[in-house]
Amino acid sequence: MNLDLTWRLLKGGGRRGLLGTWLTLGAVAVATALLLFAVAANFAFGARAERTAWRNPVPAASGAVAVEASRYDFVRDRAITVIDLAALPGESPAPPPGLPRFPAPGEVWLSPALAALARELPAGELADRYPGPEGVLGDAALVHPGELVAVVGHAPDAPAMTAQRSEDWIIAKPPVKVASLAGEPSEDAEAYQVLSAIASVLMVVPLLVFGGAAARLTVARRDQRLAALRLVGATPGQVVAMTVAEAVIVALAGALVGTAVFALCVPLLAGIQMQGGPWFAGDLFPPPLVLAGVLVAVPLLVGLSAVAGLRRVVVSPLGVAKRETPPAMRFVRVLALIAVLAAFPMLSQNTSVTVVVVALALAFLCVNLAGPWVVGVIGRITAASARGPARLLAGRRLVDDPRSAWRTVSGVALTGFVAGFLGLLSPAAFDEGAAGPPALRVTAPAGQAEEVAGRARERLGAADVQATVKTAANGVVVATLHGTPGVAALDRARTALAGLVPGRTPTTKTDDQRFGIEVLADVRVGTIVVLSVSFLVAIASSGITATSSVLDRRQTYALLRLAGTPLETLDRARRAETLIPLAVMGGGAILVGAFCAIPFMIGGVNAVGMATLGGCVVLGFAGVIGAGALSRPLLRAVTADPAPRPD
Amino acid sequence: MNDVLVGRALAKRFGQTVALGGVDIAVRAGEAVAIMGPSGSGKSTLLHCLAGIMKPDGGEVHLLGRRIDAMGERKRSALRRTRFGFVFQFGQLLPELPAEENVALPLMLGGVPRAQAVRRAREWFAPLGLHSMEARRPGELSGGQAQRVAIARALVSRPAVVFADEPTGALDQQTGQETMRLLVEATKHNDASLIVVTHDPNVAAWCDRTVEVRDGHLLAGAPHPAGPHPAGPHAAGPHAAGPHAAGPHAAGPHPAGPHPARPHPGGEAVHGPKDGTRA
Ligand SMILES: Nc1ncnc2c1ncn2[C@@H]1O[C@H](COP(=O)(O)OP(=O)(O)OP(=O)(O)O)[C@@H](O)[C@H]1O
Ligand SMILES: [Mg+2]
Repeated sequence: MNLDLTWRLLKGGGRRGLLGTWLTLGAVAVATALLLFAVAANFAFGARAERTAWRNPVPAASGAVAVEASRYDFVRDRAITVIDLAALPGESPAPPPGLPRFPAPGEVWLSPALAALARELPAGELADRYPGPEGVLGDAALVHPGELVAVVGHAPDAPAMTAQRSEDWIIAKPPVKVASLAGEPSEDAEAYQVLSAIASVLMVVPLLVFGGAAARLTVARRDQRLAALRLVGATPGQVVAMTVAEAVIVALAGALVGTAVFALCVPLLAGIQMQGGPWFAGDLFPPPLVLAGVLVAVPLLVGLSAVAGLRRVVVSPLGVAKRETPPAMRFVRVLALIAVLAAFPMLSQNTSVTVVVVALALAFLCVNLAGPWVVGVIGRITAASARGPARLLAGRRLVDDPRSAWRTVSGVALTGFVAGFLGLLSPAAFDEGAAGPPALRVTAPAGQAEEVAGRARERLGAADVQATVKTAANGVVVATLHGTPGVAALDRARTALAGLVPGRTPTTKTDDQRFGIEVLADVRVGTIVVLSVSFLVAIASSGITATSSVLDRRQTYALLRLAGTPLETLDRARRAETLIPLAVMGGGAILVGAFCAIPFMIGGVNAVGMATLGGCVVLGFAGVIGAGALSRPLLRAVTADPAPRPD
Repeated sequence: MNDVLVGRALAKRFGQTVALGGVDIAVRAGEAVAIMGPSGSGKSTLLHCLAGIMKPDGGEVHLLGRRIDAMGERKRSALRRTRFGFVFQFGQLLPELPAEENVALPLMLGGVPRAQAVRRAREWFAPLGLHSMEARRPGELSGGQAQRVAIARALVSRPAVVFADEPTGALDQQTGQETMRLLVEATKHNDASLIVVTHDPNVAAWCDRTVEVRDGHLLAGAPHPAGPHPAGPHAAGPHAAGPHAAGPHAAGPHPAGPHPARPHPGGEAVHGPKDGTRA
């Protein structure tokens, strides 16, 4: 019955009707793929956090079976995570993930990447630090496939397991007695998860808007016909059922295609460098249940959006046919935004993450709510001030349907929000490396500085490294390499000095900044990923809406063209109709985003953030103009029809 | 002589279909010509060829002695904008523009400043019986009112020829008659020629003569009986002295007698704002 009719409507829509259907399908596919990516990112960081939990020991109150400590070592410009393990007397503890057995004293296990690097470099530069590796660590022990990890077994009373370690928890973790090697996700792993949650929010909201635009594309193609059906007596229920069935069928197909696209893209996405390396492809696949959830949610949302789009037809059969003036937008929309924004200065870096994420999502949604109202105002101003026909047409169109105009630019405007938010937050660069020849520093145990310095001289001499070893304040021993040694000489010095002070790594100033540099790089990569996704969504949705607006108005365009209106005027009007709100809304959204970021700012505004912002503005405009230009051939084709008919 | 628009040996085919098979037609200044014929006979195609919308495969079209069918699309487009006016069945008004701006649009496209264009557009509303409809949007007008706005738009730039393809096709009989009266009178008053495609003999009866199209060919044209429209109260309108050829009413399907009594709301003749200038 209904389904049958739906199917015929779907097929019988003619070439242009099918074009709308294909566009919807494509848009839903893109949206689903990106949505899966946004969702999967959270699970991927979660998986990393889980897998590295064993390296973050939880002190045991009783029933300790082992001692665990960790520190960082360095080779070339990369960090090596060194985990020291010792079994306490009694029953042997369960091995950590990725290891076949608990390492015995003196045993060394290397991650595959570290083992490969040790074979590749001369022994004196790396391998001698971890002599006689017993085997390689399984993937279950690693953050990413390229991670450098060494697990070293000790006796519980070995100096490495008893000595004091660095006070800085980022550099090393002192020996801790543990009841098991389960551990818990480390603070920095959790920080990454929070950041990825925020990134997801920033990506998902434009995606929802995009999905809505896509759904309306189907409806836009149908509403005239459905209104006609209403006029001949179809009940609202039947009309709704048919539209929803159609939208849902198309959306489900789109969601499946999108899932396939995502699966095909996983190898590419896995190459994104984060936390020092690329991803295990397995981490990027969301769990089956989540996948199923997305496959259900996407068609559902598209269906709901279709119903919302149809409300006017259902309420009044003449609603579409007569093209009445739509009711004006309510100012409440803007009030909502102002209310949410007023709450932001109350937030700070210490506010709980959940509150921040919710506030951010609210601010984002309210920008989206206020958008159409502002577009309406812009339209009124444009129309009132227009001198030429193109601006007049653009302005009137903005007033007539601010929602659809907003849909065209909302993606980019919301990206402006993201860019404004991130632009203010992106941290300043570190001043890379200290000037002068590299020097390795290590803190000697109290009162042993001179003795340690002497041994350092011997070891460096034996390794044929030219260096001056001195003691500095607080028992720090400094070995300054002569001349301008290459990375190889530095790694020889590191290897020579390995184990000089148990539990401590001799490091350069650059090494000490390695984590800051890595976090910075990650934030930048994250920003670029989020902005790329937003832009893809934004540009795709502006292309989709531009296309559907041409299709919707093809008869009028064609008749205007017949009456001698130059194609350029129509095109100029179309461009103005997009670019005027884009400029105002994009600029406004950037400001709102920046405003929301103020409570979380560390330090001042910096060049990198501003460059990112500038790039976004340029890309946004270029992308929207480009996407609009893509529908120009369609405009030409539509207006070339010498006998335009309603359908 | 005073032929405004001349088509010679116009031919057009779509694949195997011969839409026009060598049509000769001439339209004089101020003349109103109805094109009739069965569906699919080539009426719209003829109109499109004459109006420079379509390039004919063969034959020539001359406007005031200038050949226009060989012009490029850009030039023809400019020509349509400045020298021709169009009234279609429906859907030609931009739904988001108030009626007066719809009428002003061709002027603005021609470079007339907005304020002046809107002022000139407004002058058309009262003569066409559209009092106080200036600010309404097309969705808020009745079908007949919308067609009258379209007529104003077609005439506002003072075209030489107005083309109308079934301008009353979407209207009921009575509204159609009234709209047709306004169209004919307004074009005449503005010294424009009118070419109307229609199925309705009553509509065709408003014109000076009717040509019949059959399978892409013209049947012998027939001038209408003397006097424009014997029974209409508009008979004394400004076009009464128009160039109507007298003669027998051969092929035209017009009712022999006067038109059936038609109430003319408003009833007055159409005096478009006539300032003598042609855009
Ligand atoms: N774009 C086209 N492509 C193919 N054939 C066409 C095209 N336009 C018209 N035709 C054909 O040309 C012939 C004449 O068409 P035209 O539109 O001129 O008829 P018409 O007299 O206006 O008919 P109607 O009264 O139904 O509007 C028809 O056989 C039609 O099928
Ligand atoms: Mg026709």
